[in-house]
Amino acid sequence: MEQQEQAPNIIIDLIKVTKLYTPDVHALTDITFSVNKGEMIFLTGRSGAGKTTLLKLISKVETPTKGMVEVDGIDIAKIPRRNLYSLRRKIGMAYQDFKLLPERTVAANIAVSMEVVYRKNSFIIKRTRELLEQLGLQSKINTPAAELSRGEQQRVAIARAVANYPEIILADEPTGNLDAETTGRVMSLFHDLHQQGATLLIATHDMSIYNDQHRVIQLEFGQQNSYQASGSDISTQATNY
Amino acid sequence: MSLLSSAFRHTGRNMLQTWKSQVMTLFTVSLSILIFSFFYLSYFNALHIGQELGDDLRLIVYLDEEPSPPLQEEYRRKIKKFDQVEQIVFVSRQEAFLRFEKQLGDDKDILLDIQQDFLPPSIEVYPIKTLDSLSRIKRFSDYLYTLPGVLKVQYGKDWIERFYSFIQLMRIIVILSGFLLIMTTTFMVAHTIRLTLLSRQRELELLRLVGATDNYIRMPFLFEGAFQGLIGACLGIGALYALYNWIILQFSGSSLFQLFPFSFLPLPIVAVLIVASTLLCSFGSFSSARKTLRL
Ligand SMILES: Nc1ncnc2c1ncn2[C@@H]1O[C@H](COP(=O)(O)OP(=O)(O)OP(=O)(O)O)[C@@H](O)[C@H]1O
Ligand SMILES: [Mg+2]
Repeated sequence: MEQQEQAPNIIIDLIKVTKLYTPDVHALTDITFSVNKGEMIFLTGRSGAGKTTLLKLISKVETPTKGMVEVDGIDIAKIPRRNLYSLRRKIGMAYQDFKLLPERTVAANIAVSMEVVYRKNSFIIKRTRELLEQLGLQSKINTPAAELSRGEQQRVAIARAVANYPEIILADEPTGNLDAETTGRVMSLFHDLHQQGATLLIATHDMSIYNDQHRVIQLEFGQQNSYQASGSDISTQATNY
Repeated sequence: MSLLSSAFRHTGRNMLQTWKSQVMTLFTVSLSILIFSFFYLSYFNALHIGQELGDDLRLIVYLDEEPSPPLQEEYRRKIKKFDQVEQIVFVSRQEAFLRFEKQLGDDKDILLDIQQDFLPPSIEVYPIKTLDSLSRIKRFSDYLYTLPGVLKVQYGKDWIERFYSFIQLMRIIVILSGFLLIMTTTFMVAHTIRLTLLSRQRELELLRLVGATDNYIRMPFLFEGAFQGLIGACLGIGALYALYNWIILQFSGSSLFQLFPFSFLPLPIVAVLIVASTLLCSFGSFSSARKTLRL
């Protein structure tokens, strides 16, 4: 069993993952890497390199053309549709296109991820307040999402992703529309969650948000190049096709 | 937050957003219930009339000869072979004469010169007063006529048979309108649920992304259907009750209702109608949600 061969602290494992969008878009080619429990990893690469695609493969929003994705030791391709919720509950994903419900308020948008796991109302209210305060959005709590600026929408999407304390947080360009101060707020939220044991995978163009200590996986034309941000390659598995 | 309370909240939200089609559906459901229950009410009351008429219903089988006791047994056996009956009475020539005499009363003098055995012996057959056996009365009579030694078979009045075929017709109408009810309500409910589903596709997709179970997503639609079935049935039966009272009022002067009491559907039947409509609509919405969401 492949589950038993793995080191026990690996939470996300990609093995030779290839994603082809029909007819011939090679979004990802032979990607292999693992993420340990409690790690905070950055995913970089040019626009179109396949960052979003990679995150979507991990939450099974897309399925790989070849290769295997394991989360928590489970080959996610084998999760039947009716049990998909168990994977999705482990993962909080902040989408690049936010996926907010435009006519709902900020509070309602954030509550969605907690409602589906039947959190108590008191918990939902407390957690929503706390997150909005941390992200500097207290005054917008009852504003419909459609009336927010992009930067505000982005923060609501992040709040929704992390609200239920997921084990894994996937953030797609979480600071793309933010100024330096607000970026700081978002990153300190992520650092807090990291401290509390969450595993984070953050796709970004923003070099200011990671430093020498972080592992960085760089995608180039759908192929990977991982290194410690300091520049010393720890593994280079780029393959040609 | 329990599954139920959040499902209720979602149901409320869904229904507010698509209130126009909700109203249309409610209207269709209540109209179908009204039509069906109106026919059923008519049928129900006709059955009661039938029971009262049935009391003096019997078949008289005239025989050419007085049957001996073993022959009587034989007749009994053959009659029961066709259908169950309530009672079989053999009337001898003598008895027939005495009855006739009694019927004539003061005029019995005219019988003085006549032989006491001029009337044929007969068998009186009282059929069971169920709709089934009563509706077969013509065939029963034809059958009895084929028995050996039978001169003639007479039964009630012709219009009783016609009345029962009317009831048969009513029954077919009730069944057909019930069928129609099932078709229209499930179709309409499934249709509105589909509209709701399509208008909320984005949200449902998101719910799935953040880890909602199939039940969490489906439940509000089940409730929506149940709600439409319940309210629709209550409105339809309410309308029927109003109609019933109106009819009573219209005919309050006439002697028709003194002859045949016209009553409303008993409570258990009303309850069954409401429950059936609720279940039906839940089923319609459930299967529609299943298909549209491909759950
Ligand atoms: N649904 C899709 N159908 C077809 N092609 C797609 C689809 N989604 C992405 N692609 C293609 O796959 C490649 C990788 O896209 P992806 O969105 O993963 O890039 P990205 O690294 O997230 O870019 P960005 O930094 O601009 O967000 C691109 O060439 C894109 O055009
Ligand atoms: Mg992207």
